Amino acid sequence: MKNVIEVKNLTKEYKKLKAVDDLSFEVKEGEILGLLGPNGSGKSTTINCILSLLNFQNGSIKIFGKVMKPDSYDLKRQIGVVFQEVAVFEELTVYDNVDYFCGLYISDKKTREKYVNEALELVGLLDYKKFYPKQLSGGLLRRLNIACGTSHKPKLIFLDEPTVAVDPQSRNNILEGIKKLRDNGASIVYTTHYMEEVEILCDRIIILDKGKILASGTASDLKELSDIDEKITVEIEKIDEAILNQISNLNNIDDYTFEMNILTVKYKKGKNNLGGLINFLKKNNVTYNKIFSERPTLNDVFLSLTGKGLRD
Amino acid sequence: MTVFKAFLKVLLKYKGTIILYSMILIIFGAINMSTSDNNVNFEDSKPDVLIVNSDKGNKISDNLVKYISDNSNINNDLKGENEINDALFYRNINYVIYIPKGYGNDIMSGKNPEIDIKSTGDYQASLAEMILKRYIQMQNVYKMNESSEDEFIKLINNNLSKDVNIEVTSKLDTTKLFNASTYFSFASYSIMAVIIFIVCLVLSSFKEKNVNKRTIVSSMNYKKYNNGLLLASFGYSFILWVFFIILGIIMLGDIMFKSRGLVYMLNSFVFTFCCLTIALFISTLVTNKNAVNGIVNVVSLGSSFLCGAFVPAAWLPNSVLTFAHILPTYWYINSNDLLKTMEVIDFTSLQPIFINMLVVLGFSILFIILNNIVSKYKHNAI
Repeated sequence: MKNVIEVKNLTKEYKKLKAVDDLSFEVKEGEILGLLGPNGSGKSTTINCILSLLNFQNGSIKIFGKVMKPDSYDLKRQIGVVFQEVAVFEELTVYDNVDYFCGLYISDKKTREKYVNEALELVGLLDYKKFYPKQLSGGLLRRLNIACGTSHKPKLIFLDEPTVAVDPQSRNNILEGIKKLRDNGASIVYTTHYMEEVEILCDRIIILDKGKILASGTASDLKELSDIDEKITVEIEKIDEAILNQISNLNNIDDYTFEMNILTVKYKKGKNNLGGLINFLKKNNVTYNKIFSERPTLNDVFLSLTGKGLRD
Repeated sequence: MTVFKAFLKVLLKYKGTIILYSMILIIFGAINMSTSDNNVNFEDSKPDVLIVNSDKGNKISDNLVKYISDNSNINNDLKGENEINDALFYRNINYVIYIPKGYGNDIMSGKNPEIDIKSTGDYQASLAEMILKRYIQMQNVYKMNESSEDEFIKLINNNLSKDVNIEVTSKLDTTKLFNASTYFSFASYSIMAVIIFIVCLVLSSFKEKNVNKRTIVSSMNYKKYNNGLLLASFGYSFILWVFFIILGIIMLGDIMFKSRGLVYMLNSFVFTFCCLTIALFISTLVTNKNAVNGIVNVVSLGSSFLCGAFVPAAWLPNSVLTFAHILPTYWYINSNDLLKTMEVIDFTSLQPIFINMLVVLGFSILFIILNNIVSKYKHNAI
């Protein structure tokens, strides 16, 4: 697969603060690359540098094999951007907004009309064509924002935290829409600090912190980097302190916590950890409501790599 | 065309504001035209004069008294200085003439005897003084040459009795001119307010930080995009100017089709262009829609009050008018005022108006330069 983006040794400094520090990565054709990191990790700055919205001190950026400059209009024609903040005209209807932003790329009226309708259908806003942005909920506004940024059918799409402050229904709709965009052949760079989203959506993930790449790979690859192998969560009404202290004596235990009636036990490696814990609880006559086991999350990976959570 | 069309669509959302300011112009313009004093008739007026003649019986002194009496209302009922002073204070009389004893003889012997006067200092007193001076000047012309008192008096009276026929040759319709000047001066407020308000509001939508960012990353050439916005702003201002001119034609009639009307139109067009440059500058400085309303009020209302759009400039204090020189509205209204009183319209008489227009264009260039500086600074700061 060809590289649609090649970033080499990118460094961006604000006075003495290094927002992006010697960053190198590439985006393959047709893949969804997730840039995952906490607020201030350099995700948006990296995107702004790639889009020539920001100057940078060092490094090189190529898109579709060409150097990206502010006046690279032929390259820009193939790029769609959905910024974190909603960027629409309050005075224009949903349809007119999408039509205007599509018009910045496509002058032919008939083609534009077709594209605008397809974009509205993709984000589920066909029934809201004549609505004004003020009449839309936060989730619908985000969908409009995506339609405005992608209606011209770009080959490369940047989505900068498009689901911030969005209700679950709209979030699912947006994520489905993004998958469809990928299925239609677009390569996507997706930044977020929601690890669940990148796990669902992204083919490859780059974890950023303080402007540096901490790790990259598929979700499975990254989870291998975690200190733990299994996490078991148990809902318990009551447990004695003495019994609780005995948990650390079980096989493969890395750590455990008991907060708000939830017992969380983390295991390093090993087999039949869930069976062992159930037997232990039965033996000590501890009654529980729910118990489930899960693989480590990307937050656990981030915790292992930096000693802090993604949303800390 | 995409930018131009979107500009018009956003603009149409503010059509209520345009209608509101047009109504203000129509209503207040009409009220101003109908209530202002535009009477141009003259009324014969005579001052109230008291003559204290201490040289009664002398032909020359008596002739002076007769001439003054013929040209003013004589009040000789007053006795004593106190009564005279009171009458002057209460404006019962405007002027007092004291003819000294031996006045007539002194004149005939070539001397220059003094006449004492008392005056209220108002325009009626000035009129009385003019009558007295006229007589004395005539008397001085003949006093050295004539030996006979009768001959001397005859010559004075003959000359003073000569009438001059004055024909009013002006064909100016002062009422229409006054109305035209009032309309166009008041229009300065509507033009300025509605252009700044609408252009700033519409452009603030386009220059909103995130919309602007989305435009920069698009394949639309940014220069082309800016030119589209400028063209749309100019187009809107031009249409607005045409609309106010049509309103003017409806309200003022045929004067608008004469050479003077064309100068009014040209002057208002130059002013409209200047307002557009101010609007573009403000829209670059301020992108917050909530702030636009306040700025419009300060700029348009402020300059209209200071420059004489609502009240005649002649009524404003000199200090205010001196300050108003730094505002384009002052030069625009000054041209309207000059046009109101201009007898002949030709290149020479229009020169002061052309100079005013050049000053307004100078302001426009200044705002364009300032706009470019601020715009460059802001673009670099993205």
